[in-house]
Amino acid sequence: MNARDLVLHAAAIKRHAPAPAIAALAGLPASQAKDELDALVASGRAISANGAYALTPLAGVALQARYGFHFAELREDAKFVAAYEGFERINVTLKQTITDWQTLDVGGMRIANDHSNKAHDEAVIDRLGGLHEKAEPILGALAAALPRLSYYGDKLLAALEAAEDGEHEWVSDVRRDSYHTVWFELHEELLRIMGREREE
Amino acid sequence: MPTAKLPPVTLPIDRARFARPPASPLVEATLDLVRETVRRRLAESGAAWGDFALRKADSLVTEQDMVAVDAAILASGHRYDWSAGISAAERPEAYRAAEGEAGQGSGFAHADAPSAEADEQGRALRGVGDNVVRHAHDIEGTALYVRSNDRVLDLLTNGVPAGSIAIIDDSGGTLTAPIIEQFAGIICAGGTVRSHLGILTREYNIPCVMNAKVAGIAEGDRVRIEASADARTTEDYQQGVERPARIWLMTGDAA
Repeated sequence: MNARDLVLHAAAIKRHAPAPAIAALAGLPASQAKDELDALVASGRAISANGAYALTPLAGVALQARYGFHFAELREDAKFVAAYEGFERINVTLKQTITDWQTLDVGGMRIANDHSNKAHDEAVIDRLGGLHEKAEPILGALAAALPRLSYYGDKLLAALEAAEDGEHEWVSDVRRDSYHTVWFELHEELLRIMGREREE
Repeated sequence: MPTAKLPPVTLPIDRARFARPPASPLVEATLDLVRETVRRRLAESGAAWGDFALRKADSLVTEQDMVAVDAAILASGHRYDWSAGISAAERPEAYRAAEGEAGQGSGFAHADAPSAEADEQGRALRGVGDNVVRHAHDIEGTALYVRSNDRVLDLLTNGVPAGSIAIIDDSGGTLTAPIIEQFAGIICAGGTVRSHLGILTREYNIPCVMNAKVAGIAEGDRVRIEASADARTTEDYQQGVERPARIWLMTGDAA
């Protein structure tokens, strides 16, 4: 993809994010990504609101229509497709793990986890660590086929390590690149590469 | 998206090195959708480009293909501008509404939504959903349908009116993170309590029901979500146990 499509693609995955975050995901220098984003806003491909950028619907349609061209070879790459399918299998466990992180079973009822039960929290973070070990060969295979994707493996590991060091916001806080935030973005990336729709 | 296994195909225009993107987003979207279709038909034909372009394209690229291009553009929420009133009169679904006619259309009308007369508290049952987590209190707000990307962009730019309850089709991502936190509550017709949206709303501590079946709630209505109901659990889903949280239309003095 050229710089313009990389920026469109990263902005689509980020949904609504400031220029440096889009640049990091696109793997471009911040100033170049900012120039591309400003050009996209000027030509009606994106809007800028509160310091963050979002694509307009037609820009999303055009980008989606180009994926078949950009990712034709990856879609035929047996190793990449196998890694993607492995990701989808782990994704089911990930969502359950995050849900268990956010909720507690008290007297048969699911209530919000207030994180006062250290044993529960540590057990869930242990499970997240185990899940990450299973994910690592998959992340490696994805990045071997498309080096740009190493962004996600690096971010996931950083979030996991911070969570294991006791900074629990790195599990699922939506306002930072927490484990769940980055995992969700990787899922979105892979669905776009493969030309698939998200399953509930 | 095509799923058939076909060799990657490049069109001559894909190799045009100095072609700038079209000035108009609509032109760019249309051209890219057409090229995607042509690539697919070319790959299926197995023909050389010259033979395809000069002999086969007229029969292999069909009217139905172009109808699909139009449909993809409309599915994004885009509506064409019109210069002659006859366009909008003949095809109202494809064109921008005339001034003053723009609305959010009718609300959800799910066939399985339960319904009941208002109780003594003015609560008229209009639907149910799966509560993502149990809250201390129920939540009331003003119904705001979010069913198009244009609406999302509008809310991103102008903010969400205070006390709004979002009503959305699916959890796939119409509702982006920065506007989720501005809602008082969310009613989502798709997904489960483990969906991404369920995870997000728990993080933001915003009441949310998934898998909702709702009928008879219009934009701007006063609605109440039974956020204090038990959450539906993983085991419930596995065992097929329903655990509905109720959704009410508030009537009379309660509205």
